[in-house]
Amino acid sequence: MALIYFDNAATSWPKPADVCAALGDYFGDAGGNPGRSGHRMSVAAARVVENAREGLAELLHASDPSRLVFTQNATHALNLALYGLLRPGDHVVTTSLEHNSVMRPLRHLETLGVDLTVVDCTQDAMLDLNSVRRALRPATRLLVTTHGSNVVGTLIPVGALAALVRELNVLYLVDASQTVGAIPIDVQEMGLDLLAFSGHKGLLGPTGTGGLYIREGVILSPLMRGGTGSDSANQTQPEFLPDAYESGTLNVAGIAGLGAGVRFLLEIGIEAVQTHERKLVEQFLAGASEISGITLYGPGDASLRCGVVSFNVAGAMPSEVGLILDESFGIMARTGLHCAPSAHRTLRTFPTGTVRFGFGWFNTPAEVEVALDALREISVWATKGAAVWTA
Amino acid sequence: MDGLISFFASHHAIRAELALKRTGFAAQLIPGPKELSPNCGVALRFDYDQREPVLAMLTAKNVRVDGVHFYRPRTDEWNVRRNGERAM
Repeated sequence: MALIYFDNAATSWPKPADVCAALGDYFGDAGGNPGRSGHRMSVAAARVVENAREGLAELLHASDPSRLVFTQNATHALNLALYGLLRPGDHVVTTSLEHNSVMRPLRHLETLGVDLTVVDCTQDAMLDLNSVRRALRPATRLLVTTHGSNVVGTLIPVGALAALVRELNVLYLVDASQTVGAIPIDVQEMGLDLLAFSGHKGLLGPTGTGGLYIREGVILSPLMRGGTGSDSANQTQPEFLPDAYESGTLNVAGIAGLGAGVRFLLEIGIEAVQTHERKLVEQFLAGASEISGITLYGPGDASLRCGVVSFNVAGAMPSEVGLILDESFGIMARTGLHCAPSAHRTLRTFPTGTVRFGFGWFNTPAEVEVALDALREISVWATKGAAVWTA
Repeated sequence: MDGLISFFASHHAIRAELALKRTGFAAQLIPGPKELSPNCGVALRFDYDQREPVLAMLTAKNVRVDGVHFYRPRTDEWNVRRNGERAM
């Protein structure tokens, strides 16, 4: 049974061959600690890191690569932005679609005296700009939203929100975990102040990689302080980027792979990735809506979504559907609450959750067909099974 | 090469080296001499008489420079004696 990997929203698989090779190349040919020593192996490691940073700057249309700092993952980047910016008395606005990587830091900051407003989305997970506008106050320091929901894939109009808050001197942090590498992002054109991203999802790099874009002029207090290989005579943290936020030895092997993933995407073009994933979403939504017993969540229009779909099968728990998909059909799906409880309340799927497919560049229409056939079988079984069980 | 550029961070040193090489200037990254700058672990050797166009280009590319120095390291004699350049 050929395996079908539909869990790209958790982490992408497979990785391009160049990504795997880049890790081996780093250990084999570079191997040093970037920026710490001047010898050729240290310099080679620094080149690996800066090559990845340049690639990311090109991909995100950042004017200056030094405004991109590497983190362990998107959660780390979001924490850096939120704790680096918000102080007691500040007001912050977010949406009910957010992942716990945004919601948990915000709920904690709330206990420290930060004022939090969570704007409700509609039941099909769409965000009304007016509800954001109404939530803004003079004390509002920051708006933070996802770019694409990790539960249903809904896209948030980040460009319009950026324009809305800029007039009011409110900073805007976008969580692009689900969209980077899959939906075109231009931080300058969209007018974003901060953009947190994962390196191991759409960017096709290894786990343990992520980053934060910080617009020129936005100053954060660092989450960690320590050695940077720069300004070594000084016992206080450097203030210049990227060193201010990159204390301690970076995950160079991971960043080597991330750089290769970014180069791979730059060659394909993000528009091509978006078109590909959108076709798979369209195919899935069209097919699944014909299967009785399947409930689809989120907008029916694939152009309003990234490559994520969520559904339930009547008469079956998400975990049961996930187990059958894996064991009998070799299909990898995510089931449950997807680390976003308030998003599920919005969708009215709390606390049961949903089954989620996250499509990626390497998925094919034939794989979607196999999944639709599988869901037809499971749906019949679940309806029959439920009838027997309730009798 | 008789010039040296020091940087605040290796990020800028690496970008500077790439920028110089892409535009045909001689450039070589070396361990930063602490007597010239305490800052970055890596510094960039270049031709000192090219400092004006080189600095203009680095400024245009947002590469932050700590200092520009006339620099003829004693290690050059060592290289000559050993009859070989440091292979980078």
